[in-house]
Amino acid sequence: MCTITKDQVYKAISTVVDPEVGFNLVEMGLIYDAIIEESCNVKVVMTLSTRGCPLHQMIKQWVHEAVERIEGVGVVEVEVVWEPAWNISMADDNVKAALGGSGTMW
Amino acid sequence: MFNVSRDYAPPLGVIAPFFKMGSFFYVTGIVFLFFMKSDFSHNDLNLLALVHWYLLGFVMMIIFGAMAQLIPVVMEVGHFGIDLYRLVWPFLAVGTFLMGIGFLVSPKVLPYGGLLVIVSISIFLYDTIMTLWHVKHISLTVKTVAVSSLFLSLGIFSGFMMALGIGEGLSINMDKWLNIHAMFVLGGYVTLTIMGLSIILLPMFGLSHGFDETPIKRAFWLMATGVSGYSIARFLGIDQWGELLSLSIIFLSVGFYLYQIMIIYRSRARKENDIWAKSMYFGYGSLASALILGMINVLVHSEQLLLAAGWFVIMGFFTFLITGHLYKIIPFLVWFERFSPLVGKEKVPMLHEMYPKKAAQYEFVFSSLGVVIGGFGLLLGDDTLFKTGISLMVVGGGCMFYSVRWMLNYK
Repeated sequence: MCTITKDQVYKAISTVVDPEVGFNLVEMGLIYDAIIEESCNVKVVMTLSTRGCPLHQMIKQWVHEAVERIEGVGVVEVEVVWEPAWNISMADDNVKAALGGSGTMW
Repeated sequence: MFNVSRDYAPPLGVIAPFFKMGSFFYVTGIVFLFFMKSDFSHNDLNLLALVHWYLLGFVMMIIFGAMAQLIPVVMEVGHFGIDLYRLVWPFLAVGTFLMGIGFLVSPKVLPYGGLLVIVSISIFLYDTIMTLWHVKHISLTVKTVAVSSLFLSLGIFSGFMMALGIGEGLSINMDKWLNIHAMFVLGGYVTLTIMGLSIILLPMFGLSHGFDETPIKRAFWLMATGVSGYSIARFLGIDQWGELLSLSIIFLSVGFYLYQIMIIYRSRARKENDIWAKSMYFGYGSLASALILGMINVLVHSEQLLLAAGWFVIMGFFTFLITGHLYKIIPFLVWFERFSPLVGKEKVPMLHEMYPKKAAQYEFVFSSLGVVIGGFGLLLGDDTLFKTGISLMVVGGGCMFYSVRWMLNYK
């Protein structure tokens, strides 16, 4: 019986930060699901804020490595999907507020 | 642990020379403007020297360097041969230098400079076309890259014909070929490329999603039709109505494009006004100004209006869209090369920390004021005003040169 929880997986992935916007992938709403099998194999279903993101492979690797660091985890798989397409409504409120900026020019 | 593919982010060493050379040609090109008077004609050889120095050495150099990174981003496949880019910039730099000498001092040199530029652009096009073959997702941007590559081929062919005309006495109608050449390169390549890239990059950096793309599709096909129509009309000698109709189509295309930009701007989630956003505002404001001046020029035919419209397109629109994106592209490449291997091991900087904010701010203020004042100088035929604008732009150019070096050397 696997004792790893979804919360643990999300917490591990929340250490991965998008260097362009400065928020982690979980609060950005980019992680759609974490499927944990009885054997403790983990499949992360995620998206990116844009297709053709130059960090595509790298972000996948960071997520993979972050989940691999959880004690007792089996095989880790990261799948990037484009449906549903990401939009800002999927992000946490703190992200929405911070991205809204001051709106001033100077 | 598996290996990270570099398909989507080419090595900094391949791209950095494009940005270094581009900023050199930018600053020297602006200094060169000091030696121009505000009442020059659009086919003056000094002006042609400057335009080629600026457009090939700065605009094309930076576009090619940026495309090394952006082609995989917009086409969603890796380059056919990224190392080919190591050959593109030296040929382009030396070719541009020789063309400058050819226009200014010795016309005999012009075809040799032109030939080197053709070699450079042909290498670039070869990689682009071979990369296109592997594209699976045919987006509008992929279509713009394909069509703009065709126009670039026609542009360099027409340019080389003129170089042979000036340097070797080949008998061609220079005025006709100049107009066709300028339209292929500026409308067919540079503008279409910017249109195609901006529909990817503006939403990417502004986090805009779910907006209507109908205007950009119309803008793209109208621009391609207008550029083709103008060139055919010029070639066949049906100048008056053919030119008027084609220019009207091009103006309509620019109108649709600006409307699309407004839609993207309204739907953006990221609202901070950093140096990139300010540069976009100024660039698109310049394009709108040029559109108005260009439309008036069609009605009243004034050399000053034509020059001012060209000024706002090249120095305002092209330049600010390019310099604005440098503050996104260079930090990313430097970060990817030097800091991405450290993620998860130690604290790494965010991209917005990797450009000099004050120098960027000074660059924006001096350059934008310079473009506006210089543009009014051209419009009014006032040499003092024009030179005042140039002075400000030289200071802005110096700040930009400093910023590029600062970003590339960030450790």
